[in-house]
Amino acid sequence: MDFEPKITSLGTQDSEQTGSMETAESYELAIVGGGPAGLTSAIYAGRARVSTCVLVGTLPGGQPANTAGVDNFPGFPNGISGSELAQRFQSQAERFGAKIIPQPAVEVDFSKRPFSIRSTRKRYKAQAVIVATGAAPRRLGVPGEERFYGRGVSSCATCDGFFYRDKQVVVVGGGDSAVDEAIFLTKFADKVTVIHRRDELRATKIYQEKAFANPKIDFVWDSVVEEILGDEAVTGVRVRNVKTEKTDMIKSDGVFIYIGMEPKSDLFVNQLELDRQGYIVSNRRQHTNVPGVFVAGDVQDPYYRQVVIAAGTGAIAAMEAERYLGRYT
Amino acid sequence: MPLLNEEVQQQVREQLSNLVNPVRLIVFTQEFECQYCSETRQLVEEVAKLSDHLEADIYDFQADEEMAQKYGVDKIPAVVVVGEEDYGIRFFGIPSGYEFTSLLEAIQSISRGEPDLSQEAQDYLSSVDEPVHLQVFVTPTCPYCPQAVVLAHQMALASPMVRADMVEAQEFPHLSTKYQVMGVPRTVINESTHVEGAAPESMVLEKVQEALASAGE
Repeated sequence: MDFEPKITSLGTQDSEQTGSMETAESYELAIVGGGPAGLTSAIYAGRARVSTCVLVGTLPGGQPANTAGVDNFPGFPNGISGSELAQRFQSQAERFGAKIIPQPAVEVDFSKRPFSIRSTRKRYKAQAVIVATGAAPRRLGVPGEERFYGRGVSSCATCDGFFYRDKQVVVVGGGDSAVDEAIFLTKFADKVTVIHRRDELRATKIYQEKAFANPKIDFVWDSVVEEILGDEAVTGVRVRNVKTEKTDMIKSDGVFIYIGMEPKSDLFVNQLELDRQGYIVSNRRQHTNVPGVFVAGDVQDPYYRQVVIAAGTGAIAAMEAERYLGRYT
Repeated sequence: MPLLNEEVQQQVREQLSNLVNPVRLIVFTQEFECQYCSETRQLVEEVAKLSDHLEADIYDFQADEEMAQKYGVDKIPAVVVVGEEDYGIRFFGIPSGYEFTSLLEAIQSISRGEPDLSQEAQDYLSSVDEPVHLQVFVTPTCPYCPQAVVLAHQMALASPMVRADMVEAQEFPHLSTKYQVMGVPRTVINESTHVEGAAPESMVLEKVQEALASAGE
């Protein structure tokens, strides 16, 4: 069997329950987000004996759960599957006493202390908060994308790769995710075409070498996708070469989009200072503009977006939260 | 070789330590021509050993045809999870990978006997007087999928008219083709309607209403 039984915390999400909202659960620290950043914060806070809850979002384990494998997290010389890494983060956080709450946060109030966070089920109060909501895949914003999302257009190769056995797919993007997932998709698809808007990949060299050596992968350079075509199902994409302005059709049964991420900061508009792209503004010690509210991971990182860095900022945020809560003198 | 290592066994034992009422895991299997039948049986038997409240019953899909009919099992491997009554909670295909979580969630909520849904959802579902069949297509490597499965199972728990199946797409490719599944999770409602992705409760309910309305026309 090629899939180990996995245990992740989750519950049914998003039911607007008003009845039990009156009684709030109180913690010293509430962490919003259950990816590498949030769970690392929870490990540190738990070890400092700070009473901690973690509100896990819609993707338990965060983005690693949505990747085939992680090869650059130190300590795993043979790589580790993204889902297993995510699961290990969570077990470690739970071992030190963090309460994992399977619902996502839907509303926050940072205007007064204790801070207040509402999930789809309950209200939580906390003296300090770490925001680690991460980032979500960016969409192309072209005709056909919305209509075919989930039935021919995907951002999760590990979920949907199977449906493209012996078929042709395109992957849009040129970064690590795009190239890594293109390689992963060759396990299923006959042909994988990577469409990139520049004439060279941004992906790490080791991914590039693997992709160039793979006979199932070809590349369409200097091109952007302008439309996803199809009637009942996806049949192809229309691309435009940005240098020659020529348009072309590429036949395809599926479209996997990896053109970068967008910070998941909607919840914090008017609560925290955001930059123009929506990233939460923080200083080098992971403080936001609200004392007692800290931030970690991809929601504040437009540059690196690495598991190891998310974990690192999570550790800083937790240590700063501990200091704020008076754990250090 | 056990499917659950010592560490996972311990985690499952802890998760299932809060079971209230007994839960029965009914496995339908056969010896040949079924990709993950023996693994499914083994997985369920291993899980059943981890709580005194659990019991595993194994049936042969063909020899025990009557039982299969009684539980509406038309493909295997199948796991029917029942408590004081049969709430209509099914797993078709092996509940492993991320779906192992869905299995544990199903066991816990059946043992509790109460759905974890909003009051409005429960009110609506208990008023439904026509059959609703939810088929949630998944792959075991899909981290978003258990949310859709657990939600569907909760709806089954909330109403005797609702039946909710997890369907592992890779093991039932003909169904994936029939329902045009090209991405998971995908919840097919009464053949006619579907929901893409791990949709929130309110959206799935809306689609259920839509499906029932279109059938009534």
